[in-house]
Amino acid sequence: MRGFDFVAPTTISATLKAAKGRNTKFIAGGTNFLPDLRHQHDGPAKVVIDLMRVSALQGISSSKGQIKLGALATMTDFLTNKIILKEAPILAAMSEKFAGPIIRNRATVAGNIIDGGPAADAVPPLLALKAKVRLASEKGRRTVDLDKFLTGYRQTAIRSDELITAVTFPSPGRNHKWGYYKLARRNAMAITVVGVAVVLKVRRKKVEEAGISLGSVTAAPIRCYEAEKILEGNVVDLELAQKAAEACAAVATPIDDIRASAEYRKLMCEVLPRRLICQALDISQDND
Amino acid sequence: MKMATTSKSKRTRKSSTPAYVPPKKLPISFTVNGQEVTAEAPAHTSLLYLLRDLGFTEVKNGCEAGDCGACTILLDGLAMNACCALGVQAEGREITTVKGIGTVDNLHPIQVKFIEHGAIQCGFCTPGMIVAAKELLDINPNPSRHEIKAGIAGNLCRCTGYVKIIDAIEAAAEDLSSKKGKRK
Repeated sequence: MRGFDFVAPTTISATLKAAKGRNTKFIAGGTNFLPDLRHQHDGPAKVVIDLMRVSALQGISSSKGQIKLGALATMTDFLTNKIILKEAPILAAMSEKFAGPIIRNRATVAGNIIDGGPAADAVPPLLALKAKVRLASEKGRRTVDLDKFLTGYRQTAIRSDELITAVTFPSPGRNHKWGYYKLARRNAMAITVVGVAVVLKVRRKKVEEAGISLGSVTAAPIRCYEAEKILEGNVVDLELAQKAAEACAAVATPIDDIRASAEYRKLMCEVLPRRLICQALDISQDND
Repeated sequence: MKMATTSKSKRTRKSSTPAYVPPKKLPISFTVNGQEVTAEAPAHTSLLYLLRDLGFTEVKNGCEAGDCGACTILLDGLAMNACCALGVQAEGREITTVKGIGTVDNLHPIQVKFIEHGAIQCGFCTPGMIVAAKELLDINPNPSRHEIKAGIAGNLCRCTGYVKIIDAIEAAAEDLSSKKGKRK
């Protein structure tokens, strides 16, 4: 992709106007954009729109129990923002494992989602938090559930003139339980072998609401609805955690690649959710 | 400004495609190590190529994919990979390279400790490593060894095995905080 025009608007409306009816691509932190640019010689875009100067896309805020991540919220923001550390620490735990510190300074939440990769690390925790994606175009605005937004391998429900403006999710509450695990071959700069996120709202020892998701084992990260249902409304013990973990493994359709075999990944899709559920709920595990 | 890439792909084109038109150049101005810089480059030029073509060759080109950290710079004080931004995105920004942290005549304590500890072998990773270390110590003046490792996780060194680099950053942290103490 060479010889494109470049614009750097400062407002959302100017951005949408620039994107309308033209062959456009957005750039923010560039941590996916530039490597892609280097490897794909003749991409289709005629105009590249820089989002980094659109202040309305920045920041993390919280109101009426809803947490709003601006599209440009970075992984470093997740490690330092007080709202995240208090309300959704799972995002900070994820960010700690996300690439390395220099990439985290630039990598944005919307960029991680829109890249659509199966190993997008920010996605499983957001799925477990039941996040929604806010989209805008000149024709109007709409909100799509994140799990419906991801439609396949590097495919999303975004339309050609649309822009992700924010990602929102309900605060899981101060007393929620959570667990995150990134299984990878190194501690940093690694592509995830299996990613698991668990968010549990517990009241009087009963799991009221559960969010469980897997990354890197399907075409796009997925929520494990069956496993969630197994836990919801129950006082969870080891047996039930095991049942939920098996339901997680049942939806995983991993592939063999240089990082791990499909067989190993499938096994980990059972072991890791069980471990995370038990750790979150303080259930003792005999042989783990 | 000349492009450093081997551009002008000579691949055979279908007769229906128009003749090759050189990409339009855009004016860019920003500051590097306090010095104002103006340039012209096509929009697809990465910040890494732009800086190197302007003579800031202390910014090294390792992987061009954000994996190795050799091109680490500070953009408005935040460490980033120069290979992962377009040059035009730097318009109006302040860039610091390793030469903005310290020069041969006036070394920064991090650089002094890198030399003292032999944390440099081939030297290719060093500019990026020192910039990453600078950001780490700016945020966390007294990091543990584990925090140092996490802080330079985005910077690859293929010579030293990291131990000497971690030693050097640890020593620089001590040096910097003792100097700060004296000033008070």
